[in-house]
Amino acid sequence: MKDTQGKTGEGITRQKDPERISPARVVTRNFFLHIHAPRVHVHSMKPAYTFGLGIILGFLFLIMVFTGVILMIYYSPSVEMAYQSVKDIVYVVPGGRIIRNMHRWASQGMVIVVFLHLVRVFYTGSYLGGRSLNWVIGVVLLMITLLSNFSGYLLPWDQLSYWAVTIGSNIAASARELTDMLGVTNSFDPGGFIKKLLIGGETVGQPALSRFFALHVIFLPVTTLVLMGVHFWRIRQDGGLSRPLEYAEDRGGKNKWYAWPVLMWTELALLIGVVAVILLIALLADAPLLEQANPSYPENPAKSPWYFLGIQELVSYSAFAGGLLIPLLYLIFLFSIPYVDREDHHVGTWFSGKEGLKLTGIAAGSTVFLVLLQLFVMIRYGWLRDWFPEISQVFVMLLNPATITAVFFIVAAEVVRSRTSSTRMAALTLFTCTFVALLIFTAVGIWFRGPNWEFYWSPGQWPVQ
Amino acid sequence: MKRRFFIRQTAGMVVLVSGIVAAVSYLRQFFPRRAGEKRKITLDDPQLYPVDTYTFLRDHNMFVYRDHEGVKAVSAVCTHLGCILEKSTDGFSCPCHGSYYNEKGEVLSGPAPRDLPWYKVGITADGRLVIDPGEIVDADDKYLIA
Repeated sequence: MKDTQGKTGEGITRQKDPERISPARVVTRNFFLHIHAPRVHVHSMKPAYTFGLGIILGFLFLIMVFTGVILMIYYSPSVEMAYQSVKDIVYVVPGGRIIRNMHRWASQGMVIVVFLHLVRVFYTGSYLGGRSLNWVIGVVLLMITLLSNFSGYLLPWDQLSYWAVTIGSNIAASARELTDMLGVTNSFDPGGFIKKLLIGGETVGQPALSRFFALHVIFLPVTTLVLMGVHFWRIRQDGGLSRPLEYAEDRGGKNKWYAWPVLMWTELALLIGVVAVILLIALLADAPLLEQANPSYPENPAKSPWYFLGIQELVSYSAFAGGLLIPLLYLIFLFSIPYVDREDHHVGTWFSGKEGLKLTGIAAGSTVFLVLLQLFVMIRYGWLRDWFPEISQVFVMLLNPATITAVFFIVAAEVVRSRTSSTRMAALTLFTCTFVALLIFTAVGIWFRGPNWEFYWSPGQWPVQ
Repeated sequence: MKRRFFIRQTAGMVVLVSGIVAAVSYLRQFFPRRAGEKRKITLDDPQLYPVDTYTFLRDHNMFVYRDHEGVKAVSAVCTHLGCILEKSTDGFSCPCHGSYYNEKGEVLSGPAPRDLPWYKVGITADGRLVIDPGEIVDADDKYLIA
């Protein structure tokens, strides 16, 4: 431990001559390099185990911060000027268009990679072996990533911004459907409370813009930064990245590599790669900017950002069930995974072996069948309110493809658990089912919904307005 | 020992109470006093609105309907997720998630949880229409033009 102590004032930057000191000391004496343990297990270096998704997320976040600061200098968060200032960024500020494009595409990249990372960590059982806290932090980071994205959408104050946030804030208020039904909305209104907290009023306006600006540029990034720090630090506290039990024994450093220089340089190369890819996309594709927000004419169809279209498909059945109940259940499920499934011997193996892989396949297949069947019925024959026009709102709320699918999944997971008496297998089932369903609903929302949220095979069939 | 216990307890209580007061007053800042207040809307002379027609008020997101008897006003905001409705031939349709209401504002299909609210219509001393979004009335109530 003694040689981890640097001399005063030496600790924060790299030493002048790293060749002269041991690789372990290069790491331990430098604040930034100390993100890794001095020595890292060989198994953690396998690209096909992690795909580097976590570190890619870190790099994308760096891009967000760097480009975000520039955007912030020129952007002005007022209803009158926001749209014009974003236009100025695109057309007047030198290089502004590229910076904005990078910011937008890196944010979309973060959403994609954060889900891939979730999938990787889940299927390799990396929440096992005492890693439950880090899993929970990861899920919180996932939520913050989505929230950051969503709050950023309002800032340009174009049609997409305005209507996406109008819909979003009303989803938050949709707890009123339940309180209305119980007849207590006047005295107890959690939906209205959250909505007011979020947008500072009844409709989206200047207070909403100011709030989202504050969330987007200070609160969420700082929270992300802190949690990211804890997330990385926990990896070391938990004994490095997860790996199968047969790699667990300590072979006196024989199965470990020094983090410096090989891993560090690989990561630097990855950083350059990530920046290059985002830059390339930013050069090729422009971030969309629609017409200025018009509070009396929604776009038709009014679609939220693509990664929320799965939820938007669900809210088109019922705002409360699809927008609050199901997402809440999903979050509870994600958070509880490491506390329900404690079968540590599954740690570090993709799909927990052949049995798990087979189960995952079956779960995915049956989910595709179940969800598509319900969508077919709904689109071809309508749903409850079309069959029984006088039906009570309770049934509309509680019996729709979103809730029925959820009940099926929970039953399926319970059946698997009792048959295999393994919580890991049950978790694999439920995770696969919910994730595949999310993908299907999102795909339907992106490609198969047109004006008035009606089904179309392609946008080419949309009626001309 | 007793004195130390007393001081510790008192100090603890002071920290707790001031902490709660600070937290509550901090959180209170997020809720402006006058947000979402429903103000009365003053419009034009009722005679200016075409007869047997739903006229969309773009600044207030409402429809004003006038016939030979009188005037009434209905919200143009979908009760589902707040999109603005379009007038169709025999009702109102929502472009966002396909909710459909009839001309009385009753939900016919789609995910909308409630019927559209109709607002109280009145008139000012100088003969201009006033709509009060704070007062909900029946779909058949009209302000009768004498």
